[in-house]
Amino acid sequence: MTLLAWIPFVTPMNGLQSIWYVLLIPLAFGIAMSYKAMRVASLQNYWRQVGVMTTQVTIGIAALGVLLMLFVRLLLPLL
Amino acid sequence: MKPESKRQNAPLRPGAALLAWILPGLGHIAIGQRRRGWLMMIGILFLFFSGILIGGIDVVDMKQDRLWFIAQACNGPIAFIADFLNQSLLKTADATTQARLTSLGNINSTGTLYIALGGLLNIVLILDALGGPDRSKEHPARRGSDS
Repeated sequence: MTLLAWIPFVTPMNGLQSIWYVLLIPLAFGIAMSYKAMRVASLQNYWRQVGVMTTQVTIGIAALGVLLMLFVRLLLPLL
Repeated sequence: MKPESKRQNAPLRPGAALLAWILPGLGHIAIGQRRRGWLMMIGILFLFFSGILIGGIDVVDMKQDRLWFIAQACNGPIAFIADFLNQSLLKTADATTQARLTSLGNINSTGTLYIALGGLLNIVLILDALGGPDRSKEHPARRGSDS
């Protein structure tokens, strides 16, 4: 019933609230796609470069998230 | 001649930069870099429409999220159209409809971020269309680290 009431591009996908962090992957993909279209010398390896950058951005932000969590939960209580 | 000095002497292309703002990637298509232009367009529009798909039309709001909108406006007229639709359809609706169509918490932030990052990325593409190197005939030696 809830799905039937959903109108794409009008109704927000509030159901993704609990897994919002997964949305980082398509975000990184979109950024990599546009950036690499400008940056690569040859478009021959374009999709491989997009895949590499998407992975790098996703892992990088996830690592920053883990570091921040460790800082807040472990280091800050010691101060 | 070094590549940097070549780039300094390259003529500016304000028309291509304007086209790049009107529709992301169009500037590159206009200067002969068609495949790159299409890929840029698909990438930026993917971010824009994904942002609206996730957060609904509410994520583009010139009045309530003014700072975010400055970045979102760099996507071009589509951001202004989305804001117009938000102001005219959502903000004038009754309270029940507004509650149903307004995104909450992380979903609102994520949708807003998608479109704002697309806009900021389009600034880079506009600058590249304005004064970037001519890649209409591919330069295999350019920026070797990416090849």
